Amino acid sequence: MDQILFALLNGTIYGLLLFMVSAGLTLIFGMMGVLNFAHASFYMLGAYFAYTLQPLTGFWLAIILAPILVMGVGILVERFILRHVHEHGHAHELLVTFGLSVVIAEMIKMVYGKFAVDYRLPAELNFAAFSLSGIDYPFYRLFMGGIAIGMFIAIYLLLTKTRVGIVVRSAIYRPQMVEALGHNVPMVFMGVFGIGAALAGLAGAVAGAFYTTNPNMALELGVMVFVVVVVGGLGSMGGAMAASLLIGITNSLAVGSDFRLADLMTWVGMGGFAEEVGGLLTMRMSSLAATLPFFIMLLVLVLRPSGLMGEKE
Amino acid sequence: MKFGPLLLLITVAVLIALPWLVSGSMLNAAVQMLISALFAMAFGLLCGQAGMLSFGHAAYFGVGAFAAVHAMNAFGGEGLLPTPLLPLVGGATGLISGLLAGYFSTKRTGVYFAMITLALAELMHALAPHLKTVFGGEAGVSSFRMPAWGIGFGTLNDVYFLTLVWTVLCIGLLYLFSKTPLGRLALGLRENAHRLRFLGYNTHALGTLIFAVSAMFAGIAGALQSMNIEAANYVVLESHISTAVVLNSFIGGVRVFLGPAIGGAVMTFFGHVSSDLTRVWLLYQGIIFVLVMMFLPRGLVGELVERIRNPSGDGIAHTLSTLLMRLASLAITAFGAVFLIEFLQRFLSPEYRAGVTDGNWPDISLFTYDWSPLSMSPWAFGLGLFGIGIALVTMVNRRVAARKEAQA
Repeated sequence: MDQILFALLNGTIYGLLLFMVSAGLTLIFGMMGVLNFAHASFYMLGAYFAYTLQPLTGFWLAIILAPILVMGVGILVERFILRHVHEHGHAHELLVTFGLSVVIAEMIKMVYGKFAVDYRLPAELNFAAFSLSGIDYPFYRLFMGGIAIGMFIAIYLLLTKTRVGIVVRSAIYRPQMVEALGHNVPMVFMGVFGIGAALAGLAGAVAGAFYTTNPNMALELGVMVFVVVVVGGLGSMGGAMAASLLIGITNSLAVGSDFRLADLMTWVGMGGFAEEVGGLLTMRMSSLAATLPFFIMLLVLVLRPSGLMGEKE
Repeated sequence: MKFGPLLLLITVAVLIALPWLVSGSMLNAAVQMLISALFAMAFGLLCGQAGMLSFGHAAYFGVGAFAAVHAMNAFGGEGLLPTPLLPLVGGATGLISGLLAGYFSTKRTGVYFAMITLALAELMHALAPHLKTVFGGEAGVSSFRMPAWGIGFGTLNDVYFLTLVWTVLCIGLLYLFSKTPLGRLALGLRENAHRLRFLGYNTHALGTLIFAVSAMFAGIAGALQSMNIEAANYVVLESHISTAVVLNSFIGGVRVFLGPAIGGAVMTFFGHVSSDLTRVWLLYQGIIFVLVMMFLPRGLVGELVERIRNPSGDGIAHTLSTLLMRLASLAITAFGAVFLIEFLQRFLSPEYRAGVTDGNWPDISLFTYDWSPLSMSPWAFGLGLFGIGIALVTMVNRRVAARKEAQA
């Protein structure tokens, strides 16, 4: 029982982390129609920047400065690269950001090497928040979850309760009208892109210390984020939240499970057959955990192609 | 375009004569170039003609590679088919997996499609190490090419000709495919899928079919690859294979028929040549791709074809001089950039850092000179060249713009 409780908690926090990255992606997509393939690269940049800054400034300042630096990178990318190719259409923008993700990953490899760097959380944060049946639960996980929730509330308030939020939301629906009313829409776009990048950078700076910081982290997380976005429906914040949690929780439940498809088939009297066939049927759920989100995605595609909360195309 | 077919004939003739013209290592590179040209063409069918951007084409390449290896090992090493026909197995497996994957991925269009293809490829990659019987785990599956039809298939020349015949044949088939009604409908799918649906076509089935055909040719390319190295490892399912085909095809230009093939062959050639000169070839490839996408959205071949078809009307002398000035200023910029990147790479490499002993920074040898990283000279040299190059590029662009204005 405690095992399941731990798994649920871990899953929720991993889901919140996924949400932190997919929220920025969804925000940018909803606003500019650009699917930013390099979004997960911003997550990676956040982790590496924080790793570099940590010895100089200490952990706290590092996780504040790293997202700001990433925001700077994001703004430069939007201003000097994306705006330049905007006239060629959205597919072209997607390709350019795809190229950027390659360039960023290769630069990281050049500067920091191909292997994981030693980015760790500070000793004062490395303690158990509580323990259940003798197993300690790290405080830092709760801290990551707290940051994600705090960020979600901040964005929600910013978008719904402030003047800036009104301009941003209206620029999503009627950019020309907003421009006619005297607002600088390209500036708004640049700001949203920068904030989206900063959110990913913050997620990276915080999570990189707990998980590993290596040049593959962008791809690994990026694929998950894309799955989240397909499952949840692009442009829908609620969908992104639901899908992130769904995938986070199934993932961490599966990691701790010994369930096999063959066991299920034993119930209907086909156990022997399954053992003979082997392959997928006799694989433990725990080793399949990494592939589970993809199966969820395929299922959603068959049952509800527009995503859990997405609008029809 | 009357010299088009002539140029094609000359290319094929040179390719046939190649084993007598170049060294063994170059011939090996040529085999790789042919394979990546075919792979890029398969990708180009999907992406250029049907407008569906796949980020996970390595999956079908890999499936074809493994199918060919297993077919070679079938019947105790006798092989399922004679060696020259084995790519058919790769093609068939690619087709079947393409039908399956295409069914799911073409349920959505645009960016969703791209994300689903990526996720499917990652699914394969995550699953492969666990399915030891099929993918052979860490070690992969190896095999031998058996002699068939009086050909030994033991020498590089035999492998080269096998690859050449299959590549030329497949590219020819792809060309014919683009002329069939299904091939024409692919263009319709790219331009206006709504209208196609309105006309009564089943766009989902159409997309699935085109996806499957593309996956089939990718599978053939994969089969040729694993027959070349007589092994397949689940590394062929990794994302960098998918990435490379996207970059190569777009650098060549996906909207002109042979663009992807030329892009694939040229980039593979440079990758081969530069592999002992630089360690950051992938970085250059990425930068070239971003620059091409920003400034030559048609791709290199696409831009060339466009310029030949619609000359600027400046006359040959002006066009040539502009081109030369552009190339010269770009060469200076590129040299500055390459110098900086290579210097940084050497400066940051673990070997160099291991050689640093308290405050003593040894010189770095680059382009026959030794540079001290603490002095200004290497940084100023690289940055200076880069800056001069950029200034020259802007100057040439201004002059061209001014002349255009004067004409108008």
